[in-house]
Amino acid sequence: MNNNSNASYLKRERKRKLSRFTEYKSATFATGITFAIFLVILFGAFDFATQSFNMGTVSASLIYLVSTVIQALLTFKIKSDILKKGEVSSATRKLGFIMLLFVLTANIFIAIAAFNLIKKDKGIEYNLAIYSVLTSFTVMMISLLNLFKEYVANTFMLGMGVLAGLTIFYAVVMLLIHKFVHGKNVDKHMKPIGYLLIVSAISGNVFALLLGLVIITKIKHAGDEISVEWIEVLRRLFRNNMAIIGMFVVTVLLSISLCSYLTFDYSIATDNNYSALLLEPSLEYPFGTDDYGRCVFTRIVFGARISLAVGIATTVVPIIIGGVLGAISGFYGGKSDNIIMRLLDVLYAVPGILLAIAIVAAFGTSTFNLIMALSIGSIPTYARTVRASVLGLANSEFVEAAKACGAKDHIIIFKHIIPNSLAPIIVRATLSIGGAVLSTSSLSYLGLGVEPHVPEWGNILKAGSTYLETNPYLAIYPGLAIILLVLAFNYMGDGLRDALDPKLK
Amino acid sequence: MKKKMTNILDRIFKKPLYRVFLFLLGLPTFLVSFIVYCARKSSYAKTDKTSEIRARILAELEKSGEKQALYNETRMFLENKRAFFKKESGDFEKNVQREFEKELNKLVERRLQEDEEYKKNYRPITLLGVMKDLLQNNAFLVFSIITSLPMYLLLLIYSNPYAKYIFERLVMMIFVLFGVVFLVFTILYMSPMDPAVNILGQTATQEQIVEFNRVYGLDQPYIVRLFEAFKGLVTLDMGRSYAGNEVVMEAISRKFPVTLQVTFASLAVALILAIPSGIISAVKPYSTFDYVFMLIALLGLSIPNFWLGLVLILNFSINLHWLPATYSATDWTTLIMPAIVLGTALSASVARMTRSSMLEVINQDYITTAKAKGLSSKRVILKHALGNAMIPIVTVVGLQFGGMLGGSAVTEKVFNINGIGSYIVDKQFIPDIPVVLTGVVYVSVVISLANLVVDILYAFLDPRIKSKMKNY
Repeated sequence: MNNNSNASYLKRERKRKLSRFTEYKSATFATGITFAIFLVILFGAFDFATQSFNMGTVSASLIYLVSTVIQALLTFKIKSDILKKGEVSSATRKLGFIMLLFVLTANIFIAIAAFNLIKKDKGIEYNLAIYSVLTSFTVMMISLLNLFKEYVANTFMLGMGVLAGLTIFYAVVMLLIHKFVHGKNVDKHMKPIGYLLIVSAISGNVFALLLGLVIITKIKHAGDEISVEWIEVLRRLFRNNMAIIGMFVVTVLLSISLCSYLTFDYSIATDNNYSALLLEPSLEYPFGTDDYGRCVFTRIVFGARISLAVGIATTVVPIIIGGVLGAISGFYGGKSDNIIMRLLDVLYAVPGILLAIAIVAAFGTSTFNLIMALSIGSIPTYARTVRASVLGLANSEFVEAAKACGAKDHIIIFKHIIPNSLAPIIVRATLSIGGAVLSTSSLSYLGLGVEPHVPEWGNILKAGSTYLETNPYLAIYPGLAIILLVLAFNYMGDGLRDALDPKLK
Repeated sequence: MKKKMTNILDRIFKKPLYRVFLFLLGLPTFLVSFIVYCARKSSYAKTDKTSEIRARILAELEKSGEKQALYNETRMFLENKRAFFKKESGDFEKNVQREFEKELNKLVERRLQEDEEYKKNYRPITLLGVMKDLLQNNAFLVFSIITSLPMYLLLLIYSNPYAKYIFERLVMMIFVLFGVVFLVFTILYMSPMDPAVNILGQTATQEQIVEFNRVYGLDQPYIVRLFEAFKGLVTLDMGRSYAGNEVVMEAISRKFPVTLQVTFASLAVALILAIPSGIISAVKPYSTFDYVFMLIALLGLSIPNFWLGLVLILNFSINLHWLPATYSATDWTTLIMPAIVLGTALSASVARMTRSSMLEVINQDYITTAKAKGLSSKRVILKHALGNAMIPIVTVVGLQFGGMLGGSAVTEKVFNINGIGSYIVDKQFIPDIPVVLTGVVYVSVVISLANLVVDILYAFLDPRIKSKMKNY
């Protein structure tokens, strides 16, 4: 009995010791995910119709099996290091440089684990720099697939040059951070680098933007004892592996939809090519071609732009309208509250998708109508969220103090109440972008989304669904793209909710 | 019995909206009461002695020296105030005089209310008071009950908190439905598309179009047509559809059961899957099972319904030939795939909600107490934890149920189900205003009722809400 409880105590103690090391955590995570990817690819290689394996795909899955084994061995080495010496030895850390090479097999998880292994004390800046590098590298790799096409966009070389330059720049920034950033102390000379990073965010690299902001904010608050709140939130967010992977996927999609202006050719996605009708997936056409000979892969890349734009717009518009209405009715209460909420009840009674169907059908299919239709339906939810948090805040002491000081209503609302009620709205917004993407593609599938010729994911899926029996991949790939984006947003939202949760502070 | 009734009358009279309803429903009773009220009021004016009593009270105050004391007190108060603020506003003596008169009047009024003579003779005459007096008379009571029965029904409803709550919600729902009709009709009215051209075809002559518009009332102005729509809502007769000329209510009530059947099937699938997995995840948080299940749940939230439907059809209908791809009312196996597709998103959100609300409850003190008492863990989880975690779960189920009724349009299209969602979508392109309007109203009614049921369920699940309801 005594022996047993002693063993369980030791086990717990060991677990606690290991969980303090992000090197170990990210290594186990990478092992697990790589193994899962291996299983998924192996499953995909099995052809149910003919009951046989596709040999090309099987060999791809074997690469992942090998990666899993190597990563598992490394994880074991890290574990024994920690348990024996209480830290990861520098020899083990050097192995991280070798593991970085696995990024060439498109395995970013091992790359992340390797980056985590290489450096000993990792601040938020180092983490952000890792993801900046990986984002621009991934976008570059995806764009490189264009080389297999018959022709590329005129600006392709320029685009690739910019991407390569950005990747190198971020790698250099990573080295600079290693040298000049220690905990809270950021060298003043990093300031221009911070501004450069913010400018480089035009490529859609959110991590670079955040990195630049963190560096500049830290320099600004150099002598302060208290840490800046949003940086703390960001740090908590980075503790959550899945949330960061979600953010990474969103950033890559955002970045690729912006970079596609340079590196992808729009005509491949929209022009008919009768010599390449309904081709199977190949290197030239990674996801095959549809019934007009258009490259489905390129169409999906361009579709990301529309899906993201519609998803974000249909979240921002109702936040603004619903937020203002909810703030007014929560702050003033009484009659205005009653009138606004009763009117919104009418909107709330109609299911969002039916209302959207009615609006789009009435005014015709266009991107603007679609955004309006989806926005109107979600106004009441935001109004209710904001109203609830404003009601709580309107009676709080700091608002009373502001009133006693003679602050005007609009100042109280915009300066005191809105910043304090932002957290639940941000979380809800991130989670509902995914829902908006789903609704958009559903409406497109019904023929009520954007115009049929536009390469939007729902449209691509609808076109593909007619060839379900002969060419199922035409419907499967755009669906996977939708799932990937929505899943990424959902994980990000979950992570943000945990990071913003005041109970954890 | 009578006392209880007058009590309720007192309470109900304080609510302006209820007062209006009461007037409308009990018009005869109020008419009689009003006549009596007017008669009493005029006779009251003749024998009014209030001013005399006031003069007497004033004299008493003067005699006892209270008046002088009040004056001194007021003066001292104002002097202190002046000394503190070091500011003069107007003539000081005049201010004192004004303030003193105000205080004196207040005192006199207070004494008046306490005065024995005043209390005996002069009660203020109100319509409600007169009516209550009259109702003490049995003959009038019988007359009143016969002539204005609806008013007594309202009183009865008001006396029971649950009935009152449900009644208020139903009244609100009727207003909301009018709002829905207005909203949807206006949207469809503003549509630039012309139903006549869409149904008769591009080759239709001008006369045909004019005739079509005349038959369906499309040549009427906006207000008239909106009023027609409202009338349709009240009389439950929404007219005939433009395409096919069928009675809309009949068509919808034929299609609605199909949608309802699919919805309930998916609800069953979702609850069977979601609640046990949510409980297990919460009991063993951060275990492998938890991670895997929550991953699957989030995946379920992220999969587009129609895509899942297509993949299922591809695998189970086209490749494996296990299940039929299209729905038919007589074959229950056709219901399996739509139920799974619709149930996926629902079970994902229910499982997540079950997990998070169970986790919240499981760390409470009373759970520790229950465990310390030596209850089996099964009993603790199922009775103490799950019972208290049920409210958010019920909310999510209720909300999602409504969403599914409206949002199943896409799934219905995929599986070729002849339900209300695909009916609305089909007629949307014309736009067939009566059909779309009725369909949306129908769905809204069902959703509102579902929400009402959820809210009432709360009261049964949560003793805190139950006790609050008693004082509603």
